[in-house]
Amino acid sequence: MALGTVLDPSARRVDDIAHPGPPLGPLHGKTIGFRVDIMWRSWDWISALWAAELEAAGATVRFWRAGGRTGEEGARMAEGLKEFLGSIDAAIVGLGNCGSCTGWTIHDALAAAATDIPTIAIVTQNFDDLGHNLARRGGRSGLRIHVLPHPLNERAREEVEQVAREHYPRMLEAMDAAAGAAVSAGAAAA
Amino acid sequence: MSEVLPPPAPKTAIIRDCGPEGCEVDWLTSRTVVTEVDDVAEFTRFAMDEGWGDGLPLIPPTVERVRAFLAEGGRYPDELIATLPPMQTECTVEKIVINAVMAGAPPETLPLLCAAVEAIADPRFDIGGLNATTGSVVPLLVVNGPIRDVFDIPYQHGCFGGAATLANAAARTLRLLMRNIGGQQLGVSSESVFGNPGRIAGIMMGEWEERSPWKPLAERRGVPGNAVTVYGAMGTMNILDITSHSGPEFLESIGRSLAYPGCNNFSPAVAFGEAMVAINPVWAEIIGRDVPDIADVQEMIWRHASLPLDAFQKRLADSIVAAGRVQADGRVYLTPTPDDVLVYVCGGTGSLHAHGVHSWGTCLSATKAVR
Repeated sequence: MALGTVLDPSARRVDDIAHPGPPLGPLHGKTIGFRVDIMWRSWDWISALWAAELEAAGATVRFWRAGGRTGEEGARMAEGLKEFLGSIDAAIVGLGNCGSCTGWTIHDALAAAATDIPTIAIVTQNFDDLGHNLARRGGRSGLRIHVLPHPLNERAREEVEQVAREHYPRMLEAMDAAAGAAVSAGAAAA
Repeated sequence: MSEVLPPPAPKTAIIRDCGPEGCEVDWLTSRTVVTEVDDVAEFTRFAMDEGWGDGLPLIPPTVERVRAFLAEGGRYPDELIATLPPMQTECTVEKIVINAVMAGAPPETLPLLCAAVEAIADPRFDIGGLNATTGSVVPLLVVNGPIRDVFDIPYQHGCFGGAATLANAAARTLRLLMRNIGGQQLGVSSESVFGNPGRIAGIMMGEWEERSPWKPLAERRGVPGNAVTVYGAMGTMNILDITSHSGPEFLESIGRSLAYPGCNNFSPAVAFGEAMVAINPVWAEIIGRDVPDIADVQEMIWRHASLPLDAFQKRLADSIVAAGRVQADGRVYLTPTPDDVLVYVCGGTGSLHAHGVHSWGTCLSATKAVR
């Protein structure tokens, strides 16, 4: 047996932001942006219900829908995302419900967090670890990630909306919304 | 038994006068580890523990082996080839060489490896999405130009896998780089449900340009000569045809075979996609005689690679309609345009088969020159 010196074939990112970023605080008067996609109808249903709650609490809501991320459409998407992030005070970014869409959800959430607005990424349980791993690998381990049940998209709309109602106050709590925000919006947390 | 040494001190001055081998200058900046280097099995076990391996035997990337590879490869180790998501980690020539040594790749393949890394890092290719996906996609490399023969890259019998050639080690290097630099780890950063045999040691082949009636694939994509094209392959699909006689018949057979409802490209969740077709040299001659223009070849395959809306289950059909994917003729096409069908010639002279390769989705192929 002979010892020798070998070189590490790997490369790792060392910088990290462990802080979750600014709190959401009061909802009234804020413009809150939902990043939706072309994949998950369940996320459309959930974000629509959450948007209604946020508007009832005095917030303004904007939506941005992500499509193809490469080629000419990808360039348009990158520009659209930049414009969207510049128009909102907080970002709710989903849905991580597959491998690549979790990748792009975290990518877009990191982009939002980099603009120093309150940000949360939404993933389903099966992709919880992936979301956190990608956030850490993206240099922001502290990114807020809220986890919905899995499987989700396979459920009927009524079931998905029940999930939305149950998770609305938890999502607000994870975003460090001002105390009582969910209650003031009349969210049915039961 | 191993000992981790501190990383070398950062260099303040890089002198290139001495060439890539560095003379007395220590170019190498990777962390070093003292470990067993004579016993491949022992080193492989160590490398697996470190998370460097793919399960196959690995050659210890000793400082001496890495220096020798660099000296023959003729590239400076600090040259940044690409930054790979999701970690935004830097893939330098040094990292490529270390992984190439471990895979057993010949030093002369370094320019090809650098070009392949450039290709997978092209934003069109979406390597970040490819790494993370539940899909079984793997980069498939098609090599054009004289380097096919220099590197013994297979383009005849069994070119998709099974040829005994050191070129396989070059393909394996790219897979190691995707693990060690790109950070593709199953269950950690990759959710691939089934994986793909090509994820073990890669898929790389040449085009049999001399038997193609059309210009080489890379040249048609704007890169003449030595070049590599990377394509996000979901797997391979056999297309057997023992009844066609003419070019249009073969192209119809290929196109019809490519279109099936469960294909990623048909999903309304996939904004667009490509398709790849490898045509054997015997069919290529017949098709080239009847359909000499490659644009017509692509158009004929594309036209047949489509389905009527009622070929899809109702819920999927409704989503396809909602996504605006149904064309005026009532059909849904596999790719947005004929240009998105990539056609090239390779394979054995036994004929009978074409190979269809479906794409994963929006990760678009990229072609880079090998310099």
